[in-house]
Amino acid sequence: MGNLETDAAAPFEQSYATTNGNGKPANPAMEEEEDHETLMQRKFSAPAYTEIKTRKNAAKVSSAHRLKNIANGGYHPAKQLHLNGHAKTAVSDREFKSSQADGVLSPEQEHYQKSSFEEVPLHTACLTYLGFYLLMILGYINQLLFVPKVAKEKGRDGYVALYDAFESFYSRYVYRRIRDCWNRPICSVPGDELTLKDRVTNDYGWSFKFTGTQTRCLNLGSYNYLGFASSTGTCADNSEATARQLGLAYCSSRSELGETQLLADLERQTARYFGVEDAIVFGMGFATNALNLPSLLSPGCLVVSDEKNHASIILGLRLSGATIKVFKHNNMRDLDRVLRQAVVYGNPKAGGKPWKKIMIIVEGVFSMEGSIVRLPEVIALKKKYKAYLYLDEAHSVGAMGPNGGGVTDYFRADAKDVDILMGTFTKSFGSAGGYIAGSKKLIDFLRANSHAHCYASSISPPIAQQIYTSMRIIMGEDGTDIGRQKINQLARNARYFRKRLAQIGVITYGHEDSPVVPMLVYLFSKIGAVVRTLTTRHIAVVGAGFPATPIMEGRIRFCLSAAHTKEQLDYALDVIDEISDDFGLKYSRKPKDLNPIEY
Amino acid sequence: MLDNIIDFASYWWFRYLMVTELYMVEKWERVTIHVIFLTLFCIFWYFNYSVLLSFTGNLFGFVPDVLPGVKQGQGIKVT
Ligand SMILES: Cc1ncc(COP(=O)(O)O)c(C=O)c1O
Repeated sequence: MGNLETDAAAPFEQSYATTNGNGKPANPAMEEEEDHETLMQRKFSAPAYTEIKTRKNAAKVSSAHRLKNIANGGYHPAKQLHLNGHAKTAVSDREFKSSQADGVLSPEQEHYQKSSFEEVPLHTACLTYLGFYLLMILGYINQLLFVPKVAKEKGRDGYVALYDAFESFYSRYVYRRIRDCWNRPICSVPGDELTLKDRVTNDYGWSFKFTGTQTRCLNLGSYNYLGFASSTGTCADNSEATARQLGLAYCSSRSELGETQLLADLERQTARYFGVEDAIVFGMGFATNALNLPSLLSPGCLVVSDEKNHASIILGLRLSGATIKVFKHNNMRDLDRVLRQAVVYGNPKAGGKPWKKIMIIVEGVFSMEGSIVRLPEVIALKKKYKAYLYLDEAHSVGAMGPNGGGVTDYFRADAKDVDILMGTFTKSFGSAGGYIAGSKKLIDFLRANSHAHCYASSISPPIAQQIYTSMRIIMGEDGTDIGRQKINQLARNARYFRKRLAQIGVITYGHEDSPVVPMLVYLFSKIGAVVRTLTTRHIAVVGAGFPATPIMEGRIRFCLSAAHTKEQLDYALDVIDEISDDFGLKYSRKPKDLNPIEY
Repeated sequence: MLDNIIDFASYWWFRYLMVTELYMVEKWERVTIHVIFLTLFCIFWYFNYSVLLSFTGNLFGFVPDVLPGVKQGQGIKVT
């Protein structure tokens, strides 16, 4: 992680000093106009960039405003010279509402009060479908006329296609056209800012060339909720020391030679973090779901799963062979209906005998929707129907609750009411891996039976150390209140960002306390245009479209972090305001709160 | 003045390309789609003009004079 930064420093300083996104040198006196022109041409010369037009007058006003802002010492990613990754903590702590459910209204009412959701406008829905069909038609014409520029297998006559035909068609003729907006290589730590390695395509996304330049961007795309992704600081130093002391890998599973004191400590710490009896850790979050669910479930069991659950959960459920019933996203009435039917009618395959067990699987924060599970109601239903509850806290652990304890902390629920607490260390802890926490009996069972425990090699020591250190910081066991500050900063950032977006008039989904903020743009072209324009303005964001979302709900997903400062968010919001005017993203028809939003 | 008009037009052309997803396709594909659009439009127009109009005209027994070239009684006989 760390050495990349120093490698990149020399050429990158030259390159980012010359661009401030607006096509104007950051400091005209210093830079040769020519150099700058050629650089911009190399970077953003593709038609995809030059075709983007803005409302002229609006652009003039705002760029003047921005230049003034920069001159006044306002924030701009291309200007700042500090290394990224430093968590900057909140300025003042006046009367602050922490990330916690109010508990004044009933859970249901509070959920509706705090969630933002708007139906897609009818004409947008029609246009989205029309556009999708046009893309399909053009794709087929294109495929008919030209040989796709992809590798061909030879000597395979008579074999059926190994890959799904529609999938490869889709990725070649829809996704490929805006492929430059995804999987962008970076060459720094993904902290509050990151450095993008610029690349250009001259053939509409079939191939890319590196330009040799770099762009310093404000990072609104990483799951770095608490800002622990950093190449400096206590976490990095401890991890380095551990790597020197224990090496990089044990090359063996934990039931053989891969067991260490560090991992045992980590498990105990994790159990303490959630206030449960025991915990078990794994080297990969995805595998934690995919490989542990089959050891808990078998054919004859019923799983009631939220429709927006993550791919790892779905894979695990399919592997287990259990019967899967899906309920509508975060819809308690539907969950109740599914559970009631399951209890009343039993297993039809076994002639109506009761199911072996019924398990409800939900996530804490849904990463595509930005919504928070309605935990108090789920727990009530679980108790009513005597079902088990599996809660995936991948995105909520650390990011939710006044102590960073996840959604159980947020709703002040008893962690013991959740039978299986699963989560990952990949997001808030700035590391990698996953855990399952719960009763001692459950964890002992998993230690004996889980494929992820018996067959996977154990977590690499520096990675485990990063988790351990960051967890101790969050819990305040390092003797500072940095963890507390980070949690509060994130809560504040999330609320501020959402409120400002609502004021701008774009449609966002999800709960007001969730750090994942999806902004609906609906169309593929708009995803592409927004991501590209934001890149020229030095903001890195992630777009998501079909098949990751329904066709009609293409979106830009902002992930907030405790490492972001108000100035950074203000800069991003100003740019978003401007481009959502230019691109027509202000779909929302809700009344707007015109008062200035307090940070 | 002219600049302003050009700017205005090119901006709204860009918006049009974006809502029809044509922004992200290649130049020749844009042309193709527009040719298809135009052909469809012409076919519909011709169909409406020559068939539908006289058909409904016959139904109601009248043809507006503003349309030259379609005489009373021309087109499909429905009676
Ligand atoms: C809900 C959920 N579970 C599990 C995972 C997998 O975690 P990892 O990335 O650590 O493999 C993710 C990752 O995005 C997730 O969102």
